[in-house]
Amino acid sequence: MTRRTGVGLGTIVVLALAWYVLTTLTGAISGGRFPSPQELWLALRQALTTGYADATLLVHALHSLRLVVSGFLVAIAVGVPLGLLMGWSRRAEALINPVFLLIRPIPPLAWIPLAILWLGLGDGAKIMVIFFAAFVPSVINTATGVRNIEPAMIEAAQMLGTRRVRFVLEVLFPAALPMIFTGLRLSLQASWTTLVAAELVGALAGLGRVLNVAQQDIFPAMILVGMLAVSILGWGTTRILAMAEGRVMPWLNVEGGR
Amino acid sequence: MAVERLLLGIAGFSAFVCVWSALSVTGAVPRQFLPAPWDVVSRALALTAQPFAGSTLQGHLASSLQRFCYGYLLAAAIGIPLGLAMGWYRWLDNVVSPIFDGLRFVAPIAWVPFAALWFGTGIGGPIMIIFSGAFPPCLINAYRGARFVDRRLIEAAQMLGTGSFRTLTEVLLPACVPSIVAGLRVSAGLGWQSLIGAELIVASAGVGYMMVQGQSNVSTPTVMAGMIAIGIVGFLIDVLLRQTESMINRRRGLA
Amino acid sequence: MSGISFENVTRVFTRDGKDFLTLDDVSLSVAEKEFVAIVGPSGCGKTTCLRMAAGFDAPTRGAVRVGGETVAGPGPDRAVVFQQFALFPWKSVADNIALGLRNKRLSRGEIDAKTADAIKLMGLAGYETAFPHQLSGGMQQRVAIARAYVLEPQVLLMDEPFGALDAQTRVVMQEELVRIARLNPRTVLFITHAVEEAVYLADRVVIMTRRPGRIKEIIDVASIRRTQAWDRHANVEDVMDLESFVHLRSHIWRSLREEKGGSER
Repeated sequence: MTRRTGVGLGTIVVLALAWYVLTTLTGAISGGRFPSPQELWLALRQALTTGYADATLLVHALHSLRLVVSGFLVAIAVGVPLGLLMGWSRRAEALINPVFLLIRPIPPLAWIPLAILWLGLGDGAKIMVIFFAAFVPSVINTATGVRNIEPAMIEAAQMLGTRRVRFVLEVLFPAALPMIFTGLRLSLQASWTTLVAAELVGALAGLGRVLNVAQQDIFPAMILVGMLAVSILGWGTTRILAMAEGRVMPWLNVEGGR
Repeated sequence: MAVERLLLGIAGFSAFVCVWSALSVTGAVPRQFLPAPWDVVSRALALTAQPFAGSTLQGHLASSLQRFCYGYLLAAAIGIPLGLAMGWYRWLDNVVSPIFDGLRFVAPIAWVPFAALWFGTGIGGPIMIIFSGAFPPCLINAYRGARFVDRRLIEAAQMLGTGSFRTLTEVLLPACVPSIVAGLRVSAGLGWQSLIGAELIVASAGVGYMMVQGQSNVSTPTVMAGMIAIGIVGFLIDVLLRQTESMINRRRGLA
Repeated sequence: MSGISFENVTRVFTRDGKDFLTLDDVSLSVAEKEFVAIVGPSGCGKTTCLRMAAGFDAPTRGAVRVGGETVAGPGPDRAVVFQQFALFPWKSVADNIALGLRNKRLSRGEIDAKTADAIKLMGLAGYETAFPHQLSGGMQQRVAIARAYVLEPQVLLMDEPFGALDAQTRVVMQEELVRIARLNPRTVLFITHAVEEAVYLADRVVIMTRRPGRIKEIIDVASIRRTQAWDRHANVEDVMDLESFVHLRSHIWRSLREEKGGSER
C-alpha cells in the first residue's frame, strides 16, 4: 500500500467517524439537515424494497439510465457525422456555423422549460434536453478532431488513391477518434447533469423525481440516497465509455502507445 | 474565399430563420408553441419595460448576475488557494484528493435539494449550486499549475539564493497564473449553467425563475426570450474571460 | 515512358498579401528509372518541386508532367515517402501497406501476396500486426517505403525520407534503398539536404540556389560511379572514403556554401 492510498483511506475513515459522531453520537447536526448513518441505511432499504416516490430505487434508476442512454445515443448519432462534415468541408462549416454559434451559448439546462412546454413532463422532453446537452460537445470535438489531423496523413491517403467512403471511414474518422471520445465524455457528463435537472423541474419517475419528492418531504436521508444513486450511475456509465474507448482504439493501448 | 464564407454564413442563418418563421406563421406548429422570431424579439423588448414574475427582464438578469458573482467568487476564493496548497503540500493532496474525487461524481445540480434545505431558496441555495459547479475547475487548475510547475524555475530561484517566501510570491504563484486563469474561464461557464439549473428549480427571482413562470403560463415567447438573454450573458462572460486569458498569455509570450 | 519533367516551372506563394517567389523558371527532366536527388539550402523550394510532382501543389506558371501527362492531383502512380513517415497509427503494418492496393481494387489474393512480398523485401517479417508507433523510426520508414513500393508506381517521390532518423539508422536505410533500387529500379526524385546521401544514392544531383529557387548546377554522378566502380564496395563508409566520392562531395559543399552565405550563418 502506498503512502497516498494509506492517507486517503485514513481520511475516509476519519470522515466516516466524524459523520457518526456529529449525527448519531452527539446530535450536533440534526437529522433534519443531514442524515445519520442509520437513517441513510433505513432510507436505502426503504427505497430498494418498498420503494419511494411511487417506485423502487431500481425502477427509478433504470428509468433515468434509459433516458440518458437514448438521448446520448441520438445526440452522437447526429452530432458526430455533423462534426465530421463541419471539420472536413469548409463550405459546410461556413453554412452551419452561424446557426451553431447562436445555439451554443445557451446552456443545455435553459432548454428545460421549452422542452416541458413542447413535450410535457414525460420522456420526450427529457430526451430533447439531453440531446441538446450532448449534441454540442460531440459536434465541436469531432470537428476539432478532423481539423487537427496532420496534413501529411491526408496527403498520404490521397497519394495512395483513397477515395470518398473509404477515406471517411478509414482515415478521417479514426484520426479524429481520440477527440471524438473527448467529446463523448463531455457529452455524457452533460447528459446526466441535464437529466437530473430536468427531472428535478418536473418528472413522473426517475432519480431526479426521488430527489424532488425527498426535498419536499424534508427527508435528507432519501436525498442522500438519490444523490448516491445518481453518482454511481454517472460513474458507471463513464467507466463503460472509457472501456469502449480502449476497445475502439486498440492502437492507443498497446505497449509503446501513448 | 472570405466573401464566399460570409455569403454561406448568411445563407445558413437566413435558412434557419426562414424555416423557423415558416413553421410558425403557416401554423404547421401552433404559434402558441413556436412563436415567430419577431414575436420573441418583441416579447423580449416588452419584458424590459413591463415586469413579469415580479420583475423586468433586466431586473431578473441583475439578480441572476448577483448570485452568479457571489457563487463564482466564493468558488475562486476557496478553490484557488486550496488547489495551490494541495499542489505544494503532498500531505494535503493525499488528504483532500479522495474526498474531492468522490464528490466530483455528484452532478452539481444534484446538490439542489440539500442546498434548498441548508440555505433556503432565496439567495443562499442558488449560490451553493453555483459554487458546486464552479469550484472543481478552480481547484483542479490551481492544483495542476502548482503541482506541475517547472522544477527548473524553482531550482533557478534557489540557485540565485531566493528565500522561500520570495520563491512563493515571485516564482511559484506567477508560474501558476495561466493555468488558474484557464480554470476560471471554464468554471465561469459551468457556474453560469448551474445557476440556470438552480433558478429553474429553487428560486423566486432570476432569469431561470422567469422562464419557469413563462412555462407555467404557456408563454413560449417569454421562455425563448429568457433563453436568448441567458445565451447572450453567458457569451459575454466567456468573451470577457477569454480576452483576459489571452491578454495574460500574450504578456507571458505563451500565445 | 515514365519520367518526370518540370517545364519552366515558377511558383509564387502569397502570404499576408505579399508574394514570395519560391521557384523561378525551373526546368528539369528525370529519365525513366533514373534516380535524381535535389539538394539545396532550406527554403530553396526543393520540397515544393516534389509536392508539385506528387500533385499536392501546382505551379503558378509552367507545367509538371509525369509519364508525359500533366499532373492534376495526387494519385497512386506517384507514390510519396514522407519525412515524418505519415503512417496511419490506427492501421497495422500490413494494413498500412495494403491500403493502396485495396484502392486499386485488386483481388484479395493479389493484395495479400503483394503485401507479403513487400513485407519480406523490406525486412518487416514478424511485424505484420504491429502498430506503427510500436516500431523504431527506421522500421517505420521501412513500412512507408514498402507502402510506396508495393504500388509499383511510375515514379517514387521521397521527401527527405531519412531526415528524421538517427545517423546509424540512416546509413542502414541508405544501403537498403540501394539494394531495393537494384532489385527493382524505379524513377526516383529524392529530396535531401545531406550531400553525402545525395552523392551516394543518386545518378544525378541537382543543386538549387537560395530563394528564389533556381537550378544552379546538375552533377552527373552515375558516370563517375561507373568509371570508378563504386559498386564494388558494399558499405556506405567504403564508398565515402573513395577519392572520387570525396572530390564530388567537396565540390557540392562548396557550391552550396556560396548559397548559404548571406542571411543564414
